[in-house]
Amino acid sequence: MRPAAAARHVRTAFLAAATSLVGVRAPAAQTTGTIDVGVSTVRYDGFRPSGAGSLTPALTWAGTGAAVTARGTYLRFESGRRSLQGLVAASLFTPPSLLPQRWRGELSLSGGGSNYADFASFWHATGEARLHFVAAGRGAWIGGTGGRTSYGAAPRPVAVVGVGLWVRRAQVTVAASATRSFVGDTAYSDLGSTIHASRGRFELDASLAARVSSRGAGHGVHGEAGTTFTLGERTALFVSGGRYPTDPVSGSVAGRYASAGLRLRTALPRPHAIRDPHLPSRSPAAGDGGVGYTTRLEVDPNPDGSARVVVHALVATTVEVAGDFTDWQPVTLRRTGEDKWESVLHIPSGVHRVNVRIDGGRWTAPAGMARAEDEFGGEVGIVAVP
Amino acid sequence: MTRAFIHTAVPLLAAMLVAGRAAAQQIDPRLERLDAATRPAVLALVDSARRDLLPTEPLVQRALEGATKRASGDVIVAAVRRLAVDLGHARQALGSTASPAELSAGAAALHAGASQTTLAELRHVRGEPLIVPLAVLADLVASGVPVDSAAAAVLSLARRARDADLVEFRRAVERDIALGAPPAAATAAAATAQSVDVNAGARQQRPGRP
Repeated sequence: MRPAAAARHVRTAFLAAATSLVGVRAPAAQTTGTIDVGVSTVRYDGFRPSGAGSLTPALTWAGTGAAVTARGTYLRFESGRRSLQGLVAASLFTPPSLLPQRWRGELSLSGGGSNYADFASFWHATGEARLHFVAAGRGAWIGGTGGRTSYGAAPRPVAVVGVGLWVRRAQVTVAASATRSFVGDTAYSDLGSTIHASRGRFELDASLAARVSSRGAGHGVHGEAGTTFTLGERTALFVSGGRYPTDPVSGSVAGRYASAGLRLRTALPRPHAIRDPHLPSRSPAAGDGGVGYTTRLEVDPNPDGSARVVVHALVATTVEVAGDFTDWQPVTLRRTGEDKWESVLHIPSGVHRVNVRIDGGRWTAPAGMARAEDEFGGEVGIVAVP
Repeated sequence: MTRAFIHTAVPLLAAMLVAGRAAAQQIDPRLERLDAATRPAVLALVDSARRDLLPTEPLVQRALEGATKRASGDVIVAAVRRLAVDLGHARQALGSTASPAELSAGAAALHAGASQTTLAELRHVRGEPLIVPLAVLADLVASGVPVDSAAAAVLSLARRARDADLVEFRRAVERDIALGAPPAAATAAAATAQSVDVNAGARQQRPGRP
């Protein structure tokens, strides 16, 4: 899966998951997946053209300051031979307090392997460190990579140094990079540029690169382009093609191709109007900060415009909610567990104000939600339903 | 013929006008929860907002919220009046084409401390609906981010970021604050980090590349 798209899917998932604006469950980790099913015509350098069918599952986990992507590709050629590729990559970003403002550090690890028709296999394991400088609409990075790669023989050392720049204007991002790579006794330099643009349901990616100063990795100019058209929340079409160079690190052979296919995405996570379930809310009856009382609210919208409202409250006999979606009429929730109370209410899309009352005490904003002074001497929770 | 028409049409027209006015002044039954002294004042504010073509539902809801919380009539009327003023200011800043939802979100942002100038700039830089950017702005301020920092960050992102990006940005700020970063620094860092590719190791793959 293309990483920019992966990141975007994660962001999209977060839109559905973030509700206070748009609340998100406190652990703040999301997992998204895609499966690309496609057909291609491909001609690897030195080989005859061939048709192929491909299946590419990918899984991305994004947590606090870290992300992990795993993907694989199964290719079946006209000849009946098959190719398997797999990659796991992880990135860890430095917390914002570690470096000066506008600077972020990134450490990434990548490991993968591929196998073709039981007689050619490769693997690699590399680590990369990057230092990012980011400003409004533009940025730059410098980085270095080290690791090992093997073509079935003794592993060879990998070393890459690189610099890059990018500029973003509206929906268009343009990037350029220069790298110098050493893989065993092979050395080469790549000068490349990419462009990413999106408009409505369309996303366009294109790249143009030149390999120069090469010893054992070929020369030439390469270019690829692809577009994705989103059909629905879980489906998209893609078309891509071009020519790419040999990659001595991962073992891929230079080739040219044209592909088309369907991308299937996992369902977006359901929103939960929770920010920090561990923050204590006010005591119910007394109306002040008592010890041992914790309430938190979840809102799970349904496609039909209704939403399941769940309040977790310790030591409660009755739990009520009121908000602009109830015309501020208290609604008593039904107890469904030891500390769980819930009801199904009509909550239209939009930003809503809501309060919770325990055992007839004060109206409070549940813990972990965005909250604001309510102008009536208390606080009100803010919930946005996508 | 003409006289007969006048005799028929004028009373009919008058009746229609009276009926229309009565309908316009018809009390929203939900407001009957307000006490007798508070209701007329709130109704007057609602009618005034209606004449000004402002959304009235948020005003009714604010009054109902006060009633549910057993606030005094004066406090309820003051809260509804402030909201009406904020809605008016939001429309000034966002323009007459702003949707009711945008105006409500804009009023919340103004109430949180954002300026009309910020709202106007948001409208200028972003063609899409502003509900999410405005809600993010208000939410940041509610989280302790200084108004200036929150406004600068949202404005810098609003031009290019989609709603999903803004929500992820908000989430990143929340995450960094939870990790101990000062709210303003967390906001600035998250705004800039929005553009850093998440996963360096997986950058090169294009869908369909065999």
